[in-house]
Amino acid sequence: MKKKGNKITDISVMIAGKAGDGVLFTGNVLAKILKREGWWISTYRDFPSNIRGERTNYTIRASLEKVYGRANDIDVFMAFDCGAVVEHADKVAKEGILLCDGIGIAHTAPSRIEGRTYHIFPLRKLTRENFKSEIYKNMIALGALSHILNLDFRIIEEIVSEVFLERKGKKIVEENIRALQLGCQKAKEMVQSEELHPLVNKADSGRLLLSGDEAIALGALAAGCRYFAAYPICPATEIWQWLAVHFPEFNGLVVQTEDELAALNMALGASYAGARAMTSTSGPGASLMMEAFSLAGMAEIPVVIAHVQRVGPSTGIPTKTEQSDLDQWIHGAHGDFPRIVLSPGTPEECFDFTVKAFNLAEVYQCPVVLLTEQDFGQNLRTVKKFDMTKVSIDRGKLLNQEQLEKIKDYRRYRFTPDGISPRALPGMKNGLHMVESNEHDEYGYRDEDSGNRIRMMQKRMKKLESATKDLIPPKVWGDKESKIGIIGFGSTFGPIQEAIAQLQEKGTRSKYLQMRTLWPFPRKKVQEFLDSCQEVFVVENNFSGQLSRLIQSQVQVPFRLKNILNYSSLAFRPQEISSQIQKVVQ
Amino acid sequence: MKKEADFHLSDPTWCGGCGLFGIFAALKKAAVSLDLDPEELVIVTGIGCHGRLNNYFKSYGFHALHGRILPLASGIKLSNPSLPVIGISGDGDAYSIGLGHFIHALRRNISLTYLVVDNRLFALTQGQTSPTSDMGYVSVSAPYGTKEFPLDGPRLALASGGTFIARGFSGDPKQLASLIEKGIIHKGFSFIEVLSPCVTHNKIITSQWFRENIARVEEDPKYDPKNRTQAWKKLSSKGKIPVGLIYVENKPSYEDLILPDKERPVVFNDLSLDIEKFEKIMEKFQ
Repeated sequence: MKKKGNKITDISVMIAGKAGDGVLFTGNVLAKILKREGWWISTYRDFPSNIRGERTNYTIRASLEKVYGRANDIDVFMAFDCGAVVEHADKVAKEGILLCDGIGIAHTAPSRIEGRTYHIFPLRKLTRENFKSEIYKNMIALGALSHILNLDFRIIEEIVSEVFLERKGKKIVEENIRALQLGCQKAKEMVQSEELHPLVNKADSGRLLLSGDEAIALGALAAGCRYFAAYPICPATEIWQWLAVHFPEFNGLVVQTEDELAALNMALGASYAGARAMTSTSGPGASLMMEAFSLAGMAEIPVVIAHVQRVGPSTGIPTKTEQSDLDQWIHGAHGDFPRIVLSPGTPEECFDFTVKAFNLAEVYQCPVVLLTEQDFGQNLRTVKKFDMTKVSIDRGKLLNQEQLEKIKDYRRYRFTPDGISPRALPGMKNGLHMVESNEHDEYGYRDEDSGNRIRMMQKRMKKLESATKDLIPPKVWGDKESKIGIIGFGSTFGPIQEAIAQLQEKGTRSKYLQMRTLWPFPRKKVQEFLDSCQEVFVVENNFSGQLSRLIQSQVQVPFRLKNILNYSSLAFRPQEISSQIQKVVQ
Repeated sequence: MKKEADFHLSDPTWCGGCGLFGIFAALKKAAVSLDLDPEELVIVTGIGCHGRLNNYFKSYGFHALHGRILPLASGIKLSNPSLPVIGISGDGDAYSIGLGHFIHALRRNISLTYLVVDNRLFALTQGQTSPTSDMGYVSVSAPYGTKEFPLDGPRLALASGGTFIARGFSGDPKQLASLIEKGIIHKGFSFIEVLSPCVTHNKIITSQWFRENIARVEEDPKYDPKNRTQAWKKLSSKGKIPVGLIYVENKPSYEDLILPDKERPVVFNDLSLDIEKFEKIMEKFQ
């Protein structure tokens, strides 16, 4: 928790229980309430890959300043069972408050756990006594939290109506509000005023609360993507599920394929025919896509692949975060071919980079990968409304019928100075051509002549050079004069930003290079950054330091890079980064 | 009116006597009799000797990855249903590496025409055993004879919900052309297995052998291709290999069920953003 005078400026609430308890639902409603009250939100889910029975927890962080990650401590803790308390009590701040259903407790509960106040709050008992279904325990819990956090009951009622009125009817809305009031009342009777964490609310300014996956889906829709083929996989499925709801209204098509081999091939078929097409995946799904990824490179078909990384190798931990698939997209698949890998660090960038990805894919006629992570792929963040007037669609050298008819001797893979050839679509007059997965000549027909092979290879790879000017450059944050540098990509953005602030508080100034295009590698900017530092830390959610290795293979590193690695399956806490840097620089 | 020559890009260089010549001829015949235009027809081929067809046949062509013909062709057809799309595979392509896609294409029922050229071995890679090779078949990959039972494509298709199942023979391009024509007209997925000898690697299953071992279903006056039970019996009988239209069924095609706007293919969408609609959608996140 952070405070300015008596006023809370940053708070974290954890809701924990077992899968099936409604932890996610309760947390999402709380996040929405706090968002409406004007707070910047960052949620963090720590869920097992299981529908029922296993431990699960969800943290909602609310701050008066923009935040993109989890805090170091929990301030308010609501547990659906005692097991959750045993597991997480040590993460609760000393002045924090714990509430626990107390189910299965065999002895009298202490009123404090190492200084933290602790209450048995009989959620299930209250539910049984007052309601027909145990499902109301979630609203009773929310009611209790609303008292502790001093939430605006009008906003809560408004959200409850939005959630239930259309789907379940008025009666259910009333029952839920009764449950909320009951929870609130019971908390009032139980909790002392000094234990409260009252939040002073401001008006909401119409911000959005959404996940990175949803931001990618919105970006795809805005970018004119109208064909989406994928196979279900955690934690990327939310992109598809959102598009499945909204695409029909825009005459778009979402197809569930039999596997990821089919997903990318199908997207390529649609793109070849002229649609803006996309797929999404994670972990093992990406491995299956490597074959068609290489086809996209050879056949020069635009396609966007959103990869929301989870813990690997193999099936790994499907619902948790990691950054260990960087190597796969940069070096994976057979043969050399042009590819672009983008790495958004926030939901805003998820939206912007998705729009950009579609333009890059079509302009340079190659596959573009949007590499994100479960951490902000599935967790919610508050963002300003996306600015639709900034969305522009560039279809590159895609020909229309009129342009095509003027071309004598059309060649789909014509050699050009920038390596990009004018593109005709099947069904067009005067555009007959062949698309070959084999090496081919300018017309697309198989050609195994070594001279042609050299020219074709150079033509395709030339496109990456041409793309350099058009790519999203790395961004420098923090104190630009500092000699202490941090480099990271993707979801480490939030924790690194906060780590910089923590270091600053202790008198250590630092700066941060956010890698936003991972391939083609932005050599010049990275070299400049390294040359301006005496010490550089590379922060990554993986075991082997894949980004660090990539940097060393691409530029001259004047000193040894220091890795700050986390392969615990959990996202970094800012403290984990700042403390390691502090140790070295002191 | 187009002529067969309009679809002839160049003379094929398959081995003399290869079944693919008959398939090439049948495709041209079917394209002419349906009055197709090379510029509206898309042919997707797989890896194998059949995959050279795009080099000889004039149309939009896509020589895809081994086994991935159907998902690729499905993407083309679904985003632009106004194009006739024909997929061609070998037995390795369709029944080995791409088998999963085959079953799902059958149940999905997208209006594609799919020819599986069955020569009962891998020809392009020098004659290895394929899923349709006979038990005991000796090849470079099974020098002591294969120990696997062969796969039966048409029966699998029937069990998987296929709505158009036919079998042709490369030595009878006229019948094959008529099956391809019917297949292209069929609403939904049309599957045509084509018996096609490999003159170079298979000295047992020759053109002559096929001639002696096939029987046209239409020669049986009582045979009704709309009758699923009869079709199953016919395909399961120990006698000669049935050729002709084996099974046909009216079922809604996938594109008819799923496309939001039947009149306007996905590829013809105006991509400019309807900002008002978008703002409304964003409100859901507030």
